[in-house]
Amino acid sequence: MNVKDFTIKSFGEGFKAKEFSALEFAQELFKEIESGDKEIGAYLSLIKDGAFLEAGRADLLRAEGGELLPLTGVPLAIKDNMLIKGYPATASSRMLENYVAAYDATVITKLKNEHAVFLGKTNLDEFAMGSSTENSAFHTTKNPHDTSRVAGGSSGGSAAAVASGLAVAALGSDTGGSIRQPAALCGVVGMKPTYGTVSRLGLIAMASSLDQIGPFTKTVEDSKILFDAVRGMDIHDATSTNSHYKISKEEIKKLKIGIPKEYFVDGIDPAVVKGVEEAIQKLKKLGFSFKEVSLPNTKYALSVYYIIMPAEVSTNLARLDGIRYSRDVQDVKSLRDLYVKNRAHGFGPETRRRVLLGTFVLSSGYYDAYYSKAQKVRRLIQEDFDNAFNEVDVILSPVTPTPAFKVGEKTADPLSMYLSDIFTIPANLAGIPAISIPVKKYVVGSGELPIGFQLMGKNFHEEDLFGIGEMYEAE
Amino acid sequence: MISKSEVKHLAELSRIELTDEEEERLAHDLGKILDHFAELKEVDTEKVSPLTGGALIMNALRDDSDSRGRIENDMAVEEFPDKAGGLLKVPPVFS
Repeated sequence: MNVKDFTIKSFGEGFKAKEFSALEFAQELFKEIESGDKEIGAYLSLIKDGAFLEAGRADLLRAEGGELLPLTGVPLAIKDNMLIKGYPATASSRMLENYVAAYDATVITKLKNEHAVFLGKTNLDEFAMGSSTENSAFHTTKNPHDTSRVAGGSSGGSAAAVASGLAVAALGSDTGGSIRQPAALCGVVGMKPTYGTVSRLGLIAMASSLDQIGPFTKTVEDSKILFDAVRGMDIHDATSTNSHYKISKEEIKKLKIGIPKEYFVDGIDPAVVKGVEEAIQKLKKLGFSFKEVSLPNTKYALSVYYIIMPAEVSTNLARLDGIRYSRDVQDVKSLRDLYVKNRAHGFGPETRRRVLLGTFVLSSGYYDAYYSKAQKVRRLIQEDFDNAFNEVDVILSPVTPTPAFKVGEKTADPLSMYLSDIFTIPANLAGIPAISIPVKKYVVGSGELPIGFQLMGKNFHEEDLFGIGEMYEAE
Repeated sequence: MISKSEVKHLAELSRIELTDEEEERLAHDLGKILDHFAELKEVDTEKVSPLTGGALIMNALRDDSDSRGRIENDMAVEEFPDKAGGLLKVPPVFS
C-alpha cells in the first residue's frame, strides 16, 4: 500500500474493509512527509501527536462498530490561516509567529465531528496575499512537478501537499483565486464555493466580502465529499447560509456550457490554450453543448479587485497592532510607538503595500474616484454573469494565463504577479462558485507542467460543477 | 502618480514605520498600480448602485447572548503579550 496514492474515497473503502488502521496510515504518511517535504516545503508546522490521537479515536470508533463518516480517519492538511485550537496559526506572518489559536474554526469543528485527522498547517503567502507563497515570512513552497517553479498561491502549501501525496486532501481559502490558481499549477482539483456557503469563523480575515474556504483534492468526487463536510449555515458568520440545490445525473448531461469570448485574449501561454482546448473537445465528446457568451466588464475585474481587496485588507489588519496577538518590538516609549514599530516589523513588503493602497483608496478625497467607483463596476461584473447565466448554465475558461512560473520570476514587479489571477478574480467579485480541474492526470516526476481549466456556475450550483467534473474525470 | 510625502502620510494613517528607502519603493509601486486603475474612468457608472458586500442575505440576526463561552475568552487573554488580572496591558498613551 502506498499512502501517497489514496483519495478520500479509496481511504474510506479501505478503512471500512479493515485493510489498514487509521493510525498506521497516519504513521506511514508522516514518514513520507518527514522525508518528502524537505524539498517541497508544503507544511509550516506538523500536528503529529494530535493526528495520532485522532487516528486512534477513529480506529476505536471502527472497533466499536460506530458510524464511520466520509472523513473519519482521513488525513488532511489545513492552510495556516485557519484556527485549530491549541495549535499555531501564523498566516505565514511574523506578526502571528507565536500565536496559538484560542478556538476552532467552524470548518475544523465540522471535520472534528467526523473524526478527520489533521496532519499539519500549510504554507501560504502572508495573510493569503500573493500568487506564489513567495510572500510567506517563512519559506517558499516548491511545485512538486518542478521544484524550480512555484506551487502558486496563496494556498500553495495545501496544493503542493495534495499534489505530492503528502496529504489525502486539504483546505485552502480563495479571495481572488488562492485555491484555483495553485490547484491548476500543481495539477489537483481546487474549488471556491459560492460566497456564504462555508462559514468564515476562524479564518483569519483578508478581504471579508471575497474570502471563502474550499477543498483541495485529487479528484472531483473527493472535492464534493470535502465540500459537503464543511458547508452550511453558521450562527457565528452572518453571511453564511444553507443551500439545497440538487441535480440528477440525467439533468447534468443537458447543461449548456458558455465560453466567454473575452477570456481567450492575447498573452495567454500557448500551452494553456492547448490544454483548455483539449478539455473543451473532451466535454464535447461527452455530449455537452457549447455557446459563446460575453462578459464585457470582466476586463476591469483586476482593477476593481485591487481597489476593493486592499481596502478590506487595510481595515481587517488594523487589529494586528502588537497588543492582542504578539509583540516583537518591546522597547517602546508610547502606545503609538508600539503600533508603528510592531506593524513595521510584523508585516512583510506585500502586506504593507496592500495596507497602504487600501488606506489610500479609502481616504477622503479619493474614496469616490476609487473605492465607490470600484463597487459600482463590481455590480456591473456581477450583472455580466447574471446575463450570461440566462443563456448558459456553466461558464468554462482558463484558470491561469501561464503554467507554473519560476521561483523569483515575478517578485520584482507586483503588477505582473497580480495578473496571474485575471481569470479567477471575477468569480470572487460576483460571489459565484468556481472549480479548477486538471486537464488530465499529471504524474509527479513526468516533467510535464500541469494545466487546469475552470468551470464557473450559478450561485449555489456547486452540484453543476461537480457533476460535469465527475463525468470529465471518469472519461 | 503618488508622491513620497503622500506615502509618508499613508504610512502615518496605517501606523507602519517606514524607512526612507521603503517610502521611495512604495511611491513607485503604488504609482504604477494606481495608473492601472485609470481604466475604470471609461466605465459609465452613473446609474449603477454600488455592490457593497459578498452576500445576498439581508438582516441576518441572532440572539444577543454570550454564545462563545468563557473558556475561549480566557484563552484569548492568555495570548495577550502583556496582561494583568485578566486585562490587556498597554504602554502609556502619552510618553
